Amino acid sequence: MIETGIPKLDEFLGGGIPNGKTLVYYIQPGVEGEIFGLQTIHSSLKKGGTGLFVVSSTTPDIIKGQFREFGWDIHLFQDRFLFVDAYNSLIGAPSNEKYVVSKPDNIEAFSKTIIDAMKELPPSTIVFGSLSTIIDLCGEKETLEAVRTWNKMANLYDHVLVYNFTAWPYSEETLKAIKEDMFNAVISVGGISERVIFGQYFGIFKADWTKEIKKSMLFRVLRPGGIKLYIPKILVTGPFDSGKSTFVHALSTRAISVDRMGTTIALDHGHIDYKGFSADIFGTPGQERFDPIIKLLSGESMGVFLIVDSTNPTDFVRAKQMLEITKSYGLPYVLIANKQDLAGALAPEEIRKQFNLPHDIPIVPVVAKDKKGVFEAFEVLIDKITGGL
Amino acid sequence: MSDYTLGIKELDAVIGGIKKGSNIMFIGPPMCGKEIILYSILYYGTAKNENAVITVSTRESATHILEWFKEQKLTLPLSRIGIVDCVTKTLGGASVENENIKIASSPVDLTGIGVKISQFFEEFYMKKNTKKIQLHINSLSTILMYSNIQTVFRFLHVFTGRIKAAGSMGIYVIESGMHDEQAISTLKQLFDGMIEIKSENDKYFIRVVGLSPKPTNWFEYEIEGANVKIVGRK
Repeated sequence: MIETGIPKLDEFLGGGIPNGKTLVYYIQPGVEGEIFGLQTIHSSLKKGGTGLFVVSSTTPDIIKGQFREFGWDIHLFQDRFLFVDAYNSLIGAPSNEKYVVSKPDNIEAFSKTIIDAMKELPPSTIVFGSLSTIIDLCGEKETLEAVRTWNKMANLYDHVLVYNFTAWPYSEETLKAIKEDMFNAVISVGGISERVIFGQYFGIFKADWTKEIKKSMLFRVLRPGGIKLYIPKILVTGPFDSGKSTFVHALSTRAISVDRMGTTIALDHGHIDYKGFSADIFGTPGQERFDPIIKLLSGESMGVFLIVDSTNPTDFVRAKQMLEITKSYGLPYVLIANKQDLAGALAPEEIRKQFNLPHDIPIVPVVAKDKKGVFEAFEVLIDKITGGL
Repeated sequence: MSDYTLGIKELDAVIGGIKKGSNIMFIGPPMCGKEIILYSILYYGTAKNENAVITVSTRESATHILEWFKEQKLTLPLSRIGIVDCVTKTLGGASVENENIKIASSPVDLTGIGVKISQFFEEFYMKKNTKKIQLHINSLSTILMYSNIQTVFRFLHVFTGRIKAAGSMGIYVIESGMHDEQAISTLKQLFDGMIEIKSENDKYFIRVVGLSPKPTNWFEYEIEGANVKIVGRK
């Protein structure tokens, strides 16, 4: 078994990737996912394994340069770190690597080099830097057929095969085959986006050798350092006395409030670990004079709960104003219709009408003091943030 | 007020500005000054309209581009400039990334280019709170030399969609006469409009199609230094 070296992922995979198995990092375009393959081969090399990196969209030298950027010393395992160069011949440049694909746009030529290497090498970690580039050059069907053969060979020769795949809009058939059928494990690497991508996460979509752990983790890529986990901030805002502190406390495994005579004057802070997703929660004060705090916290948040007192429509104008502040940062948000247990509470759809909220913005009915609906609300927001992994 | 302008006042006056979310093909023959026109749109967008501009360059290194502006004595607001340099690493040059420059490994590496574009988008939109962002790709013709039309189409399909979602404006340069008609028609599906250049009797003309109810007239232009000067109308 080899370790991916990616924090938490090995734990989710039951220790790592067993020999003979295949794994694909299924990457949303625009997300820094190709580092996953790189970090996996580095982890395997560090543990004394042999690594073969298949480059098809850049030169082996640039990959070596990336190792240095991450602070990984390549000299320690030079004789165990090999390349299949499927790039230089594409641009008519010579190659110094042991394995060279002379015609990278010809799948037979490609496959022959890969299979030769698999037969020659001891059980190794073989990472394809960009499966999408191979598909682009050789065709969808042809490449998938070759990948099936390589996967079988890996099983036969006890190699671990890891693919970086950027999920460009290929045919549905191709995407489905990659996501569901062809590999023992699929790790989704996605972006959190509202108008632009502003956060990245990974999660296990499938792993057939272990109990599936449906968890997703946010990450950042540090140079040097590589992939590091990242705890996101979620903002809880809303007018005075709408129940923000109660909501933060109801949701959090631990929480503190900075308040004076029962009213929050600085912020509430809590932390939640729920269904494999952890986040820091910040509640803002409701009064206008504290608006700069909302702005400050919005800029660094991943999503927003806007709390309203369902019995008090006169405060909706203020709530809208607060929403505008956070919306200007393009953050995903969920509206919490709190105090649903009280007489005169408006139904969520009535609140939607009064707010003129689009239908894709969820409104969750909640009684924060009894913890009713708070976790559902959290799940809804996480779904919005991750696009429903 | 319109969302975006080109900074060529005769053209802006006719098209009345460009809606956010527009993706525009910029097509013209080689050596007609497309690059300078694009740089002038960049300068006008950042310095006058306070837009942020992300330029993907497959032709000139980022350092060259910035030097060009210096030579022309045009001061760029660097906090709103992002260049994805796809040239330097391919030539084996020293490649240092900074706030304005990100280096992609090669024009084949569309995944890498996509990541760099997304990172600049996040930086401008979320961190610097600049909501008006332009994306310039100069040029699709180089990218098409390394990747086939379907691959480039898929890449553009994703990024023209992102331009729409973010309310940005995208301009994509392409050389006329270098690709077959079918390739151009395939790509055209992704665009809302076109800036078109033609040459006749040693004179160059520019017009805009698809961004106003009717195509604009052809405007004759000349380039002096960094200035695009309209000198006549057909």
